[in-house]
Amino acid sequence: MALKDISLSIAEGDFVVICGKSGCGKSTLLRHFKSVLTPHGKRSGEILFNDKPLEEADLRTQSQEIGYVLQSPENQIVTDKVWHELAFGLESLGYDTPTIRLRVAEMASYFGIQAWFKRNVTELSGGQKQLLNLASIMAMHPSVLILDEPTSQLDPIAASDFLETVKKINRDLGTTIIMTEHRLEDILPVADRVMVMDEGEIIAGGTPREIGKQLRGLGHDMFLSMPAPMQIFAGVESDLACPLTVREGRKWMSAYLQGNDVKKTKIPLEKPEIESDETVVELKDVWFRYDKNFPDVVKDLSLRVKKGEFYCLVGGNGTGKTTSLSLISGLNKPYRGKVLINGKDVRKLSDKELFHGMLGILPQNPQSLFVKKTVELDLYEMIGGTKEKKNSVYDSDIEKKTAVDKIAQLLHIEHLFAQHPYDLSGGEQQRLALAKIMMLKPTILLLDEPTKGLDNHFKRELGGILRKLQEHGVTIIMVSHDIEFCALFGDVCGLFFDGNIVTSNTPRAFFSGNSFYTTAANRMSRHVFENAITVKDVITCCRMNL
Amino acid sequence: MLQDESLDDFLDAFLGEKGHQKPEKKRWPTPAIPINTDNLAAVAMVHKDMKEPIAKKKLSKRTWVAIVMILVIIPLTIWFGIRFMGDRKYYFISMGIIVYTFVPFLMVFEGRKPQARELIIIAILAAIGVAGRAAFFMLPQFKPVVAVVIIAGVCFGAESGFLVGAMVGFVSNFFFGQGPWTPWQMFSFGIIGFLAGILFRKGLLKSSKPQLCVYGFLATFFIYGGIMNMSSLLMWSSIITWKSVLAVYITGAPFDLIHASATVFFLFVASKPMIEKLERIKKKYGLIER
Amino acid sequence: MEDSFSTYHPIINFFYFSVILIISMFFNHPMILGISLISAILYAVVLQGWKKALKFNLLFMLPMLIIVALINPLFNHSGVTILFYLDNGNPITLESIIYGLVMSVMLIQVIIWFSCYNIIMTSDKFIYLFGRIIPALSLIFSMVLRFVPKFKAQLKVISNGQKCIGRDITNGNILMRARHGVTILSIMVTWALENAIETADSMKARGYGLKGRTAFSLYRFDNRDKGMFGVMLILLVIFIIGVSMGNTFVQYNPIIIINGIVPMSLSSFFTYFIFLVFCLIPVAVDGFSAMKWQKMKEVIPEKTKCAEIRVGIEAQ
Repeated sequence: MALKDISLSIAEGDFVVICGKSGCGKSTLLRHFKSVLTPHGKRSGEILFNDKPLEEADLRTQSQEIGYVLQSPENQIVTDKVWHELAFGLESLGYDTPTIRLRVAEMASYFGIQAWFKRNVTELSGGQKQLLNLASIMAMHPSVLILDEPTSQLDPIAASDFLETVKKINRDLGTTIIMTEHRLEDILPVADRVMVMDEGEIIAGGTPREIGKQLRGLGHDMFLSMPAPMQIFAGVESDLACPLTVREGRKWMSAYLQGNDVKKTKIPLEKPEIESDETVVELKDVWFRYDKNFPDVVKDLSLRVKKGEFYCLVGGNGTGKTTSLSLISGLNKPYRGKVLINGKDVRKLSDKELFHGMLGILPQNPQSLFVKKTVELDLYEMIGGTKEKKNSVYDSDIEKKTAVDKIAQLLHIEHLFAQHPYDLSGGEQQRLALAKIMMLKPTILLLDEPTKGLDNHFKRELGGILRKLQEHGVTIIMVSHDIEFCALFGDVCGLFFDGNIVTSNTPRAFFSGNSFYTTAANRMSRHVFENAITVKDVITCCRMNL
Repeated sequence: MLQDESLDDFLDAFLGEKGHQKPEKKRWPTPAIPINTDNLAAVAMVHKDMKEPIAKKKLSKRTWVAIVMILVIIPLTIWFGIRFMGDRKYYFISMGIIVYTFVPFLMVFEGRKPQARELIIIAILAAIGVAGRAAFFMLPQFKPVVAVVIIAGVCFGAESGFLVGAMVGFVSNFFFGQGPWTPWQMFSFGIIGFLAGILFRKGLLKSSKPQLCVYGFLATFFIYGGIMNMSSLLMWSSIITWKSVLAVYITGAPFDLIHASATVFFLFVASKPMIEKLERIKKKYGLIER
Repeated sequence: MEDSFSTYHPIINFFYFSVILIISMFFNHPMILGISLISAILYAVVLQGWKKALKFNLLFMLPMLIIVALINPLFNHSGVTILFYLDNGNPITLESIIYGLVMSVMLIQVIIWFSCYNIIMTSDKFIYLFGRIIPALSLIFSMVLRFVPKFKAQLKVISNGQKCIGRDITNGNILMRARHGVTILSIMVTWALENAIETADSMKARGYGLKGRTAFSLYRFDNRDKGMFGVMLILLVIFIIGVSMGNTFVQYNPIIIINGIVPMSLSSFFTYFIFLVFCLIPVAVDGFSAMKWQKMKEVIPEKTKCAEIRVGIEAQ
């Protein structure tokens, strides 16, 4: 059963956020709000739209009144030109050319699309594409706008731009908004109501502040998905109102600790755990550009990663992080400087040496690795099929079956063996891709944005798996925008800027040294505690001081 | 935590191994359960089902109209053109072919207001064909287009096969340049897909690899090659003699042979997985034949 | 030079090329062919520049001309003026040689016209023209144009991903490479099909399938277009009258008869002249607009003009 006993009513002009773990039924619920998208299956109960059953509203009314923005910016675009895409819905509704011209012009102006109005859609960035999808829905003047994790495929800056636009629509036009979203810290402060779902049921509902209280009472693990101030609030006993933003969180901290003598204010910086002095990956004065006539992307980069270390590269878009990763993997070659892997020049290693038993690279889009029709076959595919026979890609003495089963167990995908890779959720696909990479026995893992589009629950699961690999001597180098994840799981964090690493240190030292580029927990608590960077740190500090 | 421990041991053994140096023999106990074979069997079953066309053996009225158009009216036009249009007959014929082949399909297709999913499937297959033609630009005549069109016809019926073929011919020439050859190409690709669909529905063509390859070879060599060679002859000269026909077919044969073997190659390696993928899409999203 | 004929309404562009291509395909009167060939080359030069057009013509058109002109007499032995006999006893006639030349000129001018057509008739204009007549197929057309570059980009992503596990078309021997190539294509096809379902949902969410779908376009049929359409119609009607008077009659078999050239009557001269005017419409339009800009240059200093253009673009 995908949904159980759901009752809710949403008033006109409300901003409603539905949250929950992946697979909790939020998308299924949203799809019930629009008949054409409702999945096949049995439904009992009623859905009312403007006091009438939704089925009674004909398709035309539904198409016009209920706008629906889906997850992937890329897949939603149907036509080849921006202006045509904007007009698509209006064409379906049968408006005449002058009306469409007016509406399209309005939308282009409101969303700031004029500059790329006549372009081909392929030339747009991900953020622009999603904005175009939103604009082409808004062109139909819907009274309800439904958004299903619209920012999960966007980078942080594009995502907060997009969410700003959604807020603006709600504020300026009074459009009712129902959305699911992982990026709650941006959206909760303006939400009128929040519904928390788990296993197809609504387990909590109310204003964001009420939710904070309710979830604390329930002790439910959904709390891990809430913004840092709310998590800290939940971890500490207090009678104060639940803070939603970092600003409120700071005030709350001050109020909470008022009157108490704050004695313990500092978490000692841990020494980097040096398990071995063996350097696995080393970059020496590396310079790189894509073309003779292009500017340098990587400038004089030097980097040393030790065996068993989890190295996080953080930093803005287009600073050269991903390019650096491709230099380590040998996909791109520097024009000056050296890349050494296990002490050998990467250029001198053959592909077989490099990619079998040494380097494992997880691509950003896990789907680009899936070949077969079931998860199990896809894993076997990596080691030359199901036949128990050694070959050039599988030279282990361990039976293939054992290897596949164990790797699947490690990545928690053994229950998915019979499924088609594309039927898995985003987090499961990510783990399958990692499992496929692990079949080649890499000792160094390169990860590019592995947490993109994952909810906190899946992130933690992934973090745990990476930890486990680390314990067995696997070195991990990760490029990420996700500073919370880096703070939790990284051993060393490096800030990448303008083709170079500006500073690197252990996460605690690294993040407490930054004032903008740091975790929400740190920003919230830095005026009271030193070096507290994770939610857990702050909660511990608070408890210690009471 | 026994399981966890065994996982740890495994990881150490698995990751610690180096390809060349032999570690000490460490055999893992094989669990009694064999590899998940029932799952594989289920997939095989699906495939078996597919081989026998579930479709009704009767042709629809629309299909009949299309058959009459293609098999009667078009040859009639060709005859008329050759008989009466004097020197300019071949252009007359080529235009006749555009009009006649497209009109019924357009009427039928537009008339029944196709669903979004149908449009998407045709567009995707056509785009794969176009991208395929572009991807192999460095190998003249070695193109996967016919293979894609045949698979489209087999999986989604004669009409879709025709539309995919014609669409590939039309759109790919937006990238390579339109010319007097465009309508001929559209027609040749289209008719190959159309025939594949008809033969499959009639049960004369099975979706097995050898049958598809044979059909692919014959269709490419005789239908595509036959039509395109004829069209170039008509373009160059308007006096058709047996000798000139023979000459043009002989000079065209090597190219057609390459094209036909490309079709066979692509059908050989890609037909089975491709058909499986399309069947899955059909099942998963309720796109079963109307 | 920037082409301003392409800024006319798609109907004008399409009408012009249809007429031109039909005339150049169906008429093989030497005068018509000559006028058409010269105008086609002229327009190709305007559109592509001297270098490119010349290269195209010398590299592809000249050999084709020779081949077609030579092949025709080999298979075509009709005609009364026998020049000599081949070894196998077949005659080579003057008529067949001339006919071969005529055919090659026709083929060449059709191809050159098509090269201009390919530049002017962009996919946008096609979608507009057929959007009303065959809406579903023209939408498919637009979707294919959207998918092709998307697939190409994804192909690159996938092949990079496969490179990272040592399976690229550059790895291994020929057989391995072919297998890797096929794997990459297979991944691409799955990806394309599975992700398309969301595209279908997006279409349905925006009401695709409702009755009475319209076709929107950015094009407007303004007064300039009306004027041009009128001019083209008048020229065409006069030309058709001229044709019906037999001014373009020609026969190459078995004896050559060419009407209208020797002696040239007033009506035949007028027919050819009208055709010349029609053929030169795009070139003339471009010439006039170039002259206009030249004049504007004297009125408006260069810099403000640029600023104005920028404002104009932004206003769009």
